Amino acid sequence: MAGREVVKRAVQQVRPILSVNREEARKRALNLYKAWYRQIPYIVMDYDIPMSVEQCRAKLREQFIKNRSVTDIRVIDMLVIKVCPILPLLFIKETQLMNIQLLLQGQMELKESVEIWKQKGHIMRYWKESQDPKPTDFLSKFIQGIN
Amino acid sequence: MIRAPLVKALGALGSPTHQIASRAVRTSAVVAQTPAKAPEKIEVFVDDIPVKVLPGTTVLQAAAEIGVEIPRFCYHERLAIAGNCRMCLVEVEKSPKPVAACAMPVMKGWRIKTNSDLTRKAREGVMEFLLMNHPLDCPICDQGGECDLQDQAMAFGSDRSRFTDINYTGKRAVEDKDIGPLVKTVMTRCIHCTRCVRFASEVAGVDDLGTTGRGNDMQIGTYVEKLFLTELSGNVIDLCPVGALTNKPYSFVARPWEIRKVSSIDVLDAVGSNIVVSTRTNEVLRILPRENDDVNEEWLADKSRFACDGLKRQRLVAPMVRMPNGELQAVEWEGALIAVAKALKNAGGQIAGVAGQLADVEAMVALKDLVNRLGGENLVTEQDFIKGSGIDVRSSYLLNSSIAGLATTDAVLLVGTNPRYEAPLVNTRLRKAFMHNEMQLASIGPNIDLSYEHKNLGADASLIKDVCSGSHEFSKVLEGAKKPAIIIGADLLARPDGAAIHATISEYCQKLKKADWNPFNVLHNSASQVGAFDVGYQPGLQRMLQNQPKVLFLLNADSGKLTRDQLPKDCFVVYIGSHGDNGASIADAVLPGAAYTEKQGIYVNTEGRAQQTLPGVSPPGMAREDWKILRALSEIVGKPLAYDTLDELRSRLDDIAPHLTRLGELVPASNSEASPQTTPNKSISGGAIDVKLKELRDYFMTDAISRASPTMAKCISAVNKQQRQNEEAKQSAAI
Repeated sequence: MAGREVVKRAVQQVRPILSVNREEARKRALNLYKAWYRQIPYIVMDYDIPMSVEQCRAKLREQFIKNRSVTDIRVIDMLVIKVCPILPLLFIKETQLMNIQLLLQGQMELKESVEIWKQKGHIMRYWKESQDPKPTDFLSKFIQGIN
Repeated sequence: MIRAPLVKALGALGSPTHQIASRAVRTSAVVAQTPAKAPEKIEVFVDDIPVKVLPGTTVLQAAAEIGVEIPRFCYHERLAIAGNCRMCLVEVEKSPKPVAACAMPVMKGWRIKTNSDLTRKAREGVMEFLLMNHPLDCPICDQGGECDLQDQAMAFGSDRSRFTDINYTGKRAVEDKDIGPLVKTVMTRCIHCTRCVRFASEVAGVDDLGTTGRGNDMQIGTYVEKLFLTELSGNVIDLCPVGALTNKPYSFVARPWEIRKVSSIDVLDAVGSNIVVSTRTNEVLRILPRENDDVNEEWLADKSRFACDGLKRQRLVAPMVRMPNGELQAVEWEGALIAVAKALKNAGGQIAGVAGQLADVEAMVALKDLVNRLGGENLVTEQDFIKGSGIDVRSSYLLNSSIAGLATTDAVLLVGTNPRYEAPLVNTRLRKAFMHNEMQLASIGPNIDLSYEHKNLGADASLIKDVCSGSHEFSKVLEGAKKPAIIIGADLLARPDGAAIHATISEYCQKLKKADWNPFNVLHNSASQVGAFDVGYQPGLQRMLQNQPKVLFLLNADSGKLTRDQLPKDCFVVYIGSHGDNGASIADAVLPGAAYTEKQGIYVNTEGRAQQTLPGVSPPGMAREDWKILRALSEIVGKPLAYDTLDELRSRLDDIAPHLTRLGELVPASNSEASPQTTPNKSISGGAIDVKLKELRDYFMTDAISRASPTMAKCISAVNKQQRQNEEAKQSAAI
């Protein structure tokens, strides 16, 4: 009885968020990437950030590549909508791969950037992960003066 | 001899030295402690609420018993009643006039109305008169925001003024007085409550302040132009209900609503006074006393109050290592710790530690654990004490009668100590016993001014033997007393014959002992001493030097007793502490620690009460809490201590001595353990007994913090100036 339910649950169709198949998800991701790519010069200008367009594009690429291993369509959709995008790599041919692995913040982030709802600091935060992680052991806490 | 205004109040006529009269005083003063024949309570009604009080209770006290606070300016719980501000007027039914609540004893069946129309009108009238001659300078007054007059004018004053200066004569104005570097006076603001006058004569014991003139011409002052110099002068600032006497170093610094207050403990003497540290923008602005009836009542000694500006000077802000050219160079923490660790590895267990005056118990335990782990045993306190096994029993180094208990004594012998400057708030207790308890006090040592009368028996050490053998005349006084006490100065026990003195006196105290009273007292003068003994430090530097240490830790050891010449040539000295003082100057590596306002640390006061300081500000620069430095060092040496957080360290303290973490409680050393020691064969070798702090001048700078304080330096020069003037006056009088 219980075993049957488990099987049932496993084969149950999950409700898609937007995309019904991987191809569609890939397209959405690509579209998002392109939109960001085109917006970057304006972002650099509007927010007056101390970064060049090239650096921003590298960052954009980096952000998309970060999520390249995501294969779940629903997760991809959610990333496209909200945060960081992804690449459904499994379905991409080797040749396409280079063009595609893109993606950056989701639509929401893009919209916020375009509308100047963000501030400079919010944009600069994409480069933030270079900061040192907070120390956890006694000695490094001591040396950094963090209690 | 009339000791207290209380005597006058009681109407003890005739010669007060007469037996009967003095006995009357004694019984009246200890009336609360003799429940044998408690007088019948009488019933009065405060705002129609019945309350039963002892006869002699004042209206104000009766009202306070049911939580009704009557406004007052001149009345203060710890001072004699003056009754001159009239703010406490209340209506009593069937009385033709309102009565002054602070001075009027209640009668049976009185109905007191603290909020009737008549009462309110009386208050309003008094307020109007007070404000008529009070300047409207609240915006530039330092008391603004914490002013009794301001508050009470808002609460009880009239909502409009009738003060019209039709003749344009202006308000009454009084010349300001220069009474020293600590207290600023703006005498025009004075409302003549005379609290400062009463404090000076009753508690501080210097009759320097007084009133001249009458009525509108009355003035508070020092009669002749002189400074109000006592070790307790700062308390008149707290007592002053208006801005007439304010804190001079703190003037125009901050408003009370801007500052953050942290309850802490004072560590500049061994009393452990409770304090409130006022801070703003990571700076200690001032220190105020916090009420604790068992320790400091509500007073605070001047050094504790005003030396806080020393926390900003001479601070060590970065670790330093001595370079080959002999200069200390600031380095990063890693570099300093590795340098020390290298020295520790090469020392082969020949490691010693010295705990100074301001070391907290946590740091001392961490140092002890570290040194023990590295194979060292050599842990001593900078302050010397008796040689031998004198500190095995806790009661042999405590102030066993307790600080509050000293106020109930009736015969006291001081041996080689000057409590007035070593522990001013212990001296106020003794003075209290002298005033209210007919206490008789004698001292062995130099003839010093204790601010009350006492008999100096002489300075010869052999007198101790005379008294303790019962042959001296003061022995009879001690033996006849209900609560005798013998107080020994900590410095005296550092003498070569200290152990003999200690043994002689503690043996005699066995004889004087009562069921719940231990007359044996040691008065320490460094805040860390009792805590150090409690966690197993040994007294005295000599012991440490004999073992020729290769690495020496100085934990806040700044007294300058230790010099480089005494140490072996290859000894690596590590100083851990807050100030660049004597300790840091001889060190090979300086690790900056936190001062007492910057760390959470336990200190045990001279009576054995463990209390903790709380951090008000963060340590400056790269300074760290002392125990953390030792913990970090232990990890670099490769023998990490078993605690990462303060809580873990505290539980370690709990294992060593459980009383250390029972904060605020007095854990008395049990009477039974104070067995008489094996009588030492050494005898008291004689030689004059001396005390270090003889005059006010000696009092101000005794530790690294007060030595760094500009205010304390000003105090010393003020005392010197005053003395010069006195001498000149004497000379010109002689001519």
